[in-house]
Amino acid sequence: MSGSLFAQGLALGLLAGGLYALLSSGLTLYFGVMRVVMVAHPAFLFLAAYTTYFLHRVTGMDPLLTIVATVPLFFAVGIGIQRLLVSRLAPESLAMMSVLLTFALALLIEGGLGVVATGSYRSITVEYATSAVRVFGVALPIDKLIGFGIAAVTFVAIFLILRVTRFGKALRATIQHPTAAMLVGIDTNRVRGIGFGIGLATAAIGGAVLAIIDPFFPAAHWDYIGKLMAIIVVGGLGSVQGAAIAALLLGAIEGVVQVSAGATWAGLIFYGFLFATLLLRPQGFFGGRLAERF
Amino acid sequence: MTILHTQDLTKAFGGVVAVDGVTVEFQDTLINGLIGPNGSGKTTFFNLVTGMIRPDAGNVFVHGREVTAWSPHRIVHTGLGRTFQICRVFPRLTVLDNMLVALRRTRLRELFGGLGNRADVERARTWLTRVGIDHLERAEARDLSFGQQKLLELAAVLMAEPSLILLDEPAGGVNPALIERIADLVRDLNAEGRTFLVVEHNMDFVMNLCNHVVVFDRGRPIASGTPAEIQSDARVLEAYLGV
Amino acid sequence: MPNASDLMTGAAARRAAIVVAAAVLLVYPWIAPNSYLRYAGVLVVMYAVLATSWNLVGGFTGYVSLGHAAFFGLGAYGTGILIIDLAVPHVLALAISTVGVVVFAVVVGLAAVRVRGASFVIVSIALVTMMSLIAQDARELTGGSSGLRVPPISADLDRTSNHLLFFNLFAALLFLAALTWWFIDRSRFGAGLKAIREDEDKAEALGVPTTAYKVAVFALSAGFTGVAGGLYGMWFGNLDPIFLFSIIVGANMVIMALLGGVRHLFGPTVGALIVVPASEYFLARFGETQIHIVFSGVLLGIVVLFMPDGIIPKVRVLLRRFGPVSSSIREETQQEFRDRQGVGA
Repeated sequence: MSGSLFAQGLALGLLAGGLYALLSSGLTLYFGVMRVVMVAHPAFLFLAAYTTYFLHRVTGMDPLLTIVATVPLFFAVGIGIQRLLVSRLAPESLAMMSVLLTFALALLIEGGLGVVATGSYRSITVEYATSAVRVFGVALPIDKLIGFGIAAVTFVAIFLILRVTRFGKALRATIQHPTAAMLVGIDTNRVRGIGFGIGLATAAIGGAVLAIIDPFFPAAHWDYIGKLMAIIVVGGLGSVQGAAIAALLLGAIEGVVQVSAGATWAGLIFYGFLFATLLLRPQGFFGGRLAERF
Repeated sequence: MTILHTQDLTKAFGGVVAVDGVTVEFQDTLINGLIGPNGSGKTTFFNLVTGMIRPDAGNVFVHGREVTAWSPHRIVHTGLGRTFQICRVFPRLTVLDNMLVALRRTRLRELFGGLGNRADVERARTWLTRVGIDHLERAEARDLSFGQQKLLELAAVLMAEPSLILLDEPAGGVNPALIERIADLVRDLNAEGRTFLVVEHNMDFVMNLCNHVVVFDRGRPIASGTPAEIQSDARVLEAYLGV
Repeated sequence: MPNASDLMTGAAARRAAIVVAAAVLLVYPWIAPNSYLRYAGVLVVMYAVLATSWNLVGGFTGYVSLGHAAFFGLGAYGTGILIIDLAVPHVLALAISTVGVVVFAVVVGLAAVRVRGASFVIVSIALVTMMSLIAQDARELTGGSSGLRVPPISADLDRTSNHLLFFNLFAALLFLAALTWWFIDRSRFGAGLKAIREDEDKAEALGVPTTAYKVAVFALSAGFTGVAGGLYGMWFGNLDPIFLFSIIVGANMVIMALLGGVRHLFGPTVGALIVVPASEYFLARFGETQIHIVFSGVLLGIVVLFMPDGIIPKVRVLLRRFGPVSSSIREETQQEFRDRQGVGA
């Protein structure tokens, strides 16, 4: 494989990794906040993509501007899901039942999208993002650059929220020790709801990005769930930074494999890494002390 | 003779060294006690010895055999049993089924025989009668009171016929009458030849029951001897009172 | 405590129900009025087998595998490829393919059971998605996305006799699977599995070799599922990688078992009896749209939120409302405590 091909694959992979990082940070939040494996996260991602698509088609709004509408909506939906559904599950079988419940949500969304929007591929092209910039002989498509930029900014924003703000500290406290958090006066129910809401808000942003960079169809979310799960397992559960590192790493590898061996093999490497991590180091590689086993 | 000993056993969690190069011996036929302030590493020590966590360094020997990093069920088969600090039973199984899960080494044939294997059921009932909850045989474990669950947990451990029994805070959260009963039970079982290692915070319980006590502080043993010797040891007083 | 006569009528009623059901099962293919209903009957029994096999793992150990379709597909493709490419006679192909599935399950199982709970679910999803990708891609072997045609077991088998034959084959397989479940339920192996479900670390601390147990039951379950896959290939004739390695099929297995009740021998069968006709109805009514996926999602959600123990316990509670009042265990022990004043408790 030639050097330029390698560099091209690497660059594209890294750009994709940015989106993966944003999405896996959402997943990490759900798991940390409620110990819920939100299998429906990619489904919501695609729901957001469809919403962006239809808003753009119907109102002519710039797809990236639709974020202004979708983010608050998804945020509210996230709170609703946590308050009305997830909190109803019995704690002793939470791990199992939450997967099944979110799985049901994913089915609902996929089915609903299929009925309303049919299975044909959709995609948005924006006039200002159809070309590419060349950097050191590597072509970087502008739409993917924009997508990476938005994802990166959002990711950093979330990271800062978690680290710096009072709410972020309350959230982290609730993640680490819910009982202790309650004892110091944190309203853990509210915190959990908001944590979930933030998670879904990242899906809204990711969806807008997805709408402009790649074609999509309802059943595609299953591919994403495998990739995202692999990323957070490799990165280490409960660690937002770990997931980001793993996302960039795996995205880069996927990119290189894609240009050399094709899309199928590119998809398979995620599963390879997933199984290898489970066999060798189930608590993940980049999570540090926060990382734990499911 | 030595029934359990460890050599330089070490385990750290992040920056906290829970068990710090512990070399210690416990003799058989005794009721050994293991005491120490909170965070001194007692439960971690139990978890290391029973294989539930792997040590960072060091070795564990049971009956002179090295069992370091063995999986827990293999260690159980060498004749070791343990109870948990927070009493653990199988909530949705009946009391009797809870007893029948405990396995000594079984042959494949015995695995697929019905649960009603008479010899084992008889044995289970005998133990249940001995601890006093035989009338609850068909109740689901989660419907038992806390004290009854503690007794069930102990009885189930005994089903596997262990020669060394590790008790993690057997008197924790239990009323005085039941504490007395547990102490009597331990004494009787000890008289029948079983060795005990008891972690406890209840000093009366430990001092009245145990014939040999080891004191842990900050991950290592700081004193050992008879209850009387321990109670007058300056290092022990310092560790507990933090002077 | 329900009195003796209640117990007897309860057990007798259950036995009668089983006998009636078995009788219906035996005559159904003969009395079904048209070919479609015969086809649907085979489908019901096949899903009953799949759900019961899944329940060997899910019901006993509590490990939820959403990717069991991986073994279904492997069994179908294994059998199909042996018949088509290597001209192996049908029955032998089924046997060899099943052995392959079991071996595969042992290997995968050893890795998969190193994690628990939700992680295990993810691994199972990853497994089936992976197989789906591979199957669609390996054109020379599997015919890729256009599928594979498996020749029928005998040239002069018309549609009716085909349905009849496989109805009975699946029914026999269901009987075997149920028998296996029943045996395990009453054995020490089963007690160990249930202990794993209740408290895996505690089970290990009592001497149960948890990894060996989990892999064993995983392989057993995969074996039955693989046989069902092979039979499906021979019956349906057409192998399509998207259906065979479908997460939806795997999800349906779980839904059926959960709906019927995972702690009961015929829970999964009851689940299949409810879900399969319902989804066939949806398919007939609304055609090829994705409404049946919505239906699956709604059903799964309802079961998880409102009846995680399945429909059978709910029905029992309903029936018990019409029976004599029974006393609780607690009352009984209180009574006995008073009788045994000062002794024990």
